[in-house]
Amino acid sequence: MTSAPVEPATGAAPERHSCEAIAWLDEVAPEQAVACGGAKMGRLAELLASGVQVPQGFAVTVDAYRRHCRESGLDGRIDEVLAGLGTGPTDAEVEQASAAIRELFTATPMSEHLAGRLTEAYEELCLRCVDVNVPVAVRSSATGEDAADASFAGIFDTYLGVSGIERVLESVRRCWGSLFTARALAYRLRRGISHHDMPIAVGVIELIHARASGVAFSVHPVTGKRDRIVVETSWGWGEAIVQGLVDPDHVEIGKADGRVLRYDVAHKKIVSAFDFAVGAVTEIEMPAKLADRRVLDDEQIGAIAAAVISIEEHYGHPVDVEWVIGRHRRAGDPVCIVQTRPVTTAESEPAVSTAPAYDPVALAQKYLFSGRPIPGR
Amino acid sequence: MANVVPVDAYSTGEWYPGYKPEYFDMPWIVDPAGPFRPGDENSFWFLDFHWSRGLTPLGSTLWSGDGYCWGTQHAAESLPLPPGRGVTARFAGTHLYGSALPETDPREIEARAGRIATNLPHFLTNYRSIWESGRDELENTWSYFRGIDFTQVRGDDLPTLLGQSRRYHKRAMEIHFGVMYPMLANFLGFYGACADMGINPNEIGKFLQGEDTKIMETDRKLYDLALAARAAGLEPVFEAHDGGQLRDALARHGGAASVWLTEFDAFLQIYGYRAEATCDVGVPSWIEDNTIPLDLVKTFLQRKDPHDFDRAAANAMAEREEAIENARAGLTREEQAVFDAGLASNQEANFPWWQDDHNYYIDLKVMLPLRWGCQELANRVKADHQDDMLYLFWPELRDVATGDKPYDANLRSLVDARRQYFDHWHHRRGEMPKVLGTIPEAVEDPILIEIFGLNPQSIRAVQNPDAAAQTTITGVAAAKGTARGIARILQSSDELHRLEPGSILVCESTSPNWTPAFGKIAGAVCDGGGMLSHAAIVGREYGVPTVTATGIATMSINDGDEVEVDGTSGTVTVLTRAADVAPSAVGSAPEVPA
Repeated sequence: MTSAPVEPATGAAPERHSCEAIAWLDEVAPEQAVACGGAKMGRLAELLASGVQVPQGFAVTVDAYRRHCRESGLDGRIDEVLAGLGTGPTDAEVEQASAAIRELFTATPMSEHLAGRLTEAYEELCLRCVDVNVPVAVRSSATGEDAADASFAGIFDTYLGVSGIERVLESVRRCWGSLFTARALAYRLRRGISHHDMPIAVGVIELIHARASGVAFSVHPVTGKRDRIVVETSWGWGEAIVQGLVDPDHVEIGKADGRVLRYDVAHKKIVSAFDFAVGAVTEIEMPAKLADRRVLDDEQIGAIAAAVISIEEHYGHPVDVEWVIGRHRRAGDPVCIVQTRPVTTAESEPAVSTAPAYDPVALAQKYLFSGRPIPGR
Repeated sequence: MANVVPVDAYSTGEWYPGYKPEYFDMPWIVDPAGPFRPGDENSFWFLDFHWSRGLTPLGSTLWSGDGYCWGTQHAAESLPLPPGRGVTARFAGTHLYGSALPETDPREIEARAGRIATNLPHFLTNYRSIWESGRDELENTWSYFRGIDFTQVRGDDLPTLLGQSRRYHKRAMEIHFGVMYPMLANFLGFYGACADMGINPNEIGKFLQGEDTKIMETDRKLYDLALAARAAGLEPVFEAHDGGQLRDALARHGGAASVWLTEFDAFLQIYGYRAEATCDVGVPSWIEDNTIPLDLVKTFLQRKDPHDFDRAAANAMAEREEAIENARAGLTREEQAVFDAGLASNQEANFPWWQDDHNYYIDLKVMLPLRWGCQELANRVKADHQDDMLYLFWPELRDVATGDKPYDANLRSLVDARRQYFDHWHHRRGEMPKVLGTIPEAVEDPILIEIFGLNPQSIRAVQNPDAAAQTTITGVAAAKGTARGIARILQSSDELHRLEPGSILVCESTSPNWTPAFGKIAGAVCDGGGMLSHAAIVGREYGVPTVTATGIATMSINDGDEVEVDGTSGTVTVLTRAADVAPSAVGSAPEVPA
């Protein structure tokens, strides 16, 4: 399971424009990565450039999406559907419009040129991974501000375990179409945002064969405490965790010394596993012998914490990440990061924490004289 | 929506026969004590477990006035407590209800917060010298009274001596609450910080346990006396007699028993100046009445497996160290710094320890000089009973002492009537509402929660009309472990002799005068009392499974019921009602309470 490029990109690339259809994670200039590959893929490129282990892969760029819509006539047909909505459409009307537009995406083939570029890139990825029809994750990678990114979290499509160029092409078109899910559509209508202002890129990345996966926060997502890293994990791929289908193991790690502060083993009922018959990662019942077993050992926890800390340092603000431990990872190897975002939910403490000494006056104020019951009582 | 329990039945203006409102004329700061008055239903009142016997006229006025309405309000002003102004008191018959006095003016609260920001650190830095100088001042005053032969005091000087005795109590309460409030503030701040750092609140009480107190020392010495009695072959004497007859029986027995009595008297000279009550002039000391300490020796002797004080203390210390280590392991380095500093501060000014230890110096003996003065005066005026003066109000007592008013037939019949009034209400204790007035869903005052156990669960429980029928009751899991046994419902520590080895103690709440009971009971259940209550602290020290703050244990459990106390989960289950318990299970015929 190698992530470093087998061969570095050939010397000085002639001229690199953001308008190229394909942008490799290890080739795109980090400062252009987000504009060109969307937030999700752009950040992976930034991470790679900063030395973090990420899967191999490329983005089908924002520009490729735009050209596809323009040249295939999709733009006009989409506008037609949207115009029919008028002002203040009902939920059902939005649903209908969404279904119609997504159908348009499925039915509209890519230009030969684009399909050719994508095929070329996929073959290159197979070569890099030393695999035939390498299974990949096809992930929507939206553009727009972080806030919008957060509001749209999980709303756009992701396909795990896509194998073979035909399926890859189909999955890319579906991801494009997912820019028009009813929820996204309703959001933009409410805010008066044009879909032209938030085009979408799609990532095609090597599927890491996950032994365990999870999410990790460089700040406590609920209390906002920045002195710890919080990890949630289960066996297999991370989809069941991200979608809230499984109650994951919960781990907290002290940031200053990397000590495991707590490890709560959960009863994990569902697992995201690769279904070879279907050719995709799907959610199935967790094998009984794994359900109550502790997922991570201390070495693995340490590797996750190290990655999270370096990513937080790189960005200079709290982050959450999705990580994977591949089947062939050995102790001492880094874990693989498949996604990262700035943490926007937690009401985080000031970055430079003001000396957290024991202050009986402040504590008495906080707990005794606040008119609120003492926590835990 | 808040439930209101009317106070009408108690705010009739009627009180002790011959009562006049001016009998409560004494300095107060925010709110004066008195019988319930109209309008009191707007506040929240809780039945105060410290005085479950009821209080005599002298006891009620002096405690409520000089204790609660001077001592707590004085301390709450001088620290100050930002949103709280101390405690006030009302009487329903002879029974005292307390209420916390809130400060609601935001500007005032802010000003007070500014003052505590200066005063609390100063107190904590100087805690040892502040507490020790207060304690020494009181011990000096105590020595002064011990040096006086009350029978030899000139008649002119007796009123002065009575005044000095009252001032001793009042000053003690200034020191008591002046130390208690800042210590409690520090402890609860630490407590809150621990809970916020994810430490299980049930563990927090353990961090400060295992420090020896004068109260525990007393128990050990008493236990040594029991072992000495056994060694001297006196067990049959103790078996054959009750506490009330034991002294005479031992004297008659002579020989080894006389030697033992000499040892016992030497013990009493050090540890016997303690009344079986908190600041109640109406209750004798162990020296005045040997019944309780002799009964305690007797029950220690009944215990088949002797209580190992050293092992219990070692266990408490080991449990403490383990709890601290476990808690620290789950904290980040930054949190450990806060925890360690907070723990050090609280180990230096150890509230749970002080909460037990100070009773030896203050609560259990501070009313004794006034009691001696009252008894001496009773002798001199040839009162019908030695405790007649306790049924006078302070202005009446002063007048009798100065001779301004003769202790004549009028006063004597008034005292009789008041004695009957006291007895009448004494018997009604079990039916007194636990709470009165406007009952909030939750109490915010940490003292009421942690010491009185008025948490939302117990407040709900006491409002349950079917409390008496409950067979499963819940409360605060105060001391871990599980025990089964026969329940003994005790109204006050006067009834401690009814406990047998292995009994389950059920009462409103315990105070330090109950401590010896923990050497022989199997479990304890209280209506009130939080994690910082006496029962919780002593239960942990003695390893006795204890559940507090049930609200209704004395109502739901009957004397003689077989119950199970789960001090780990905070649950008490009535297994078999008294009527169905096989006589053999009850053990050697328990005495019927007098």
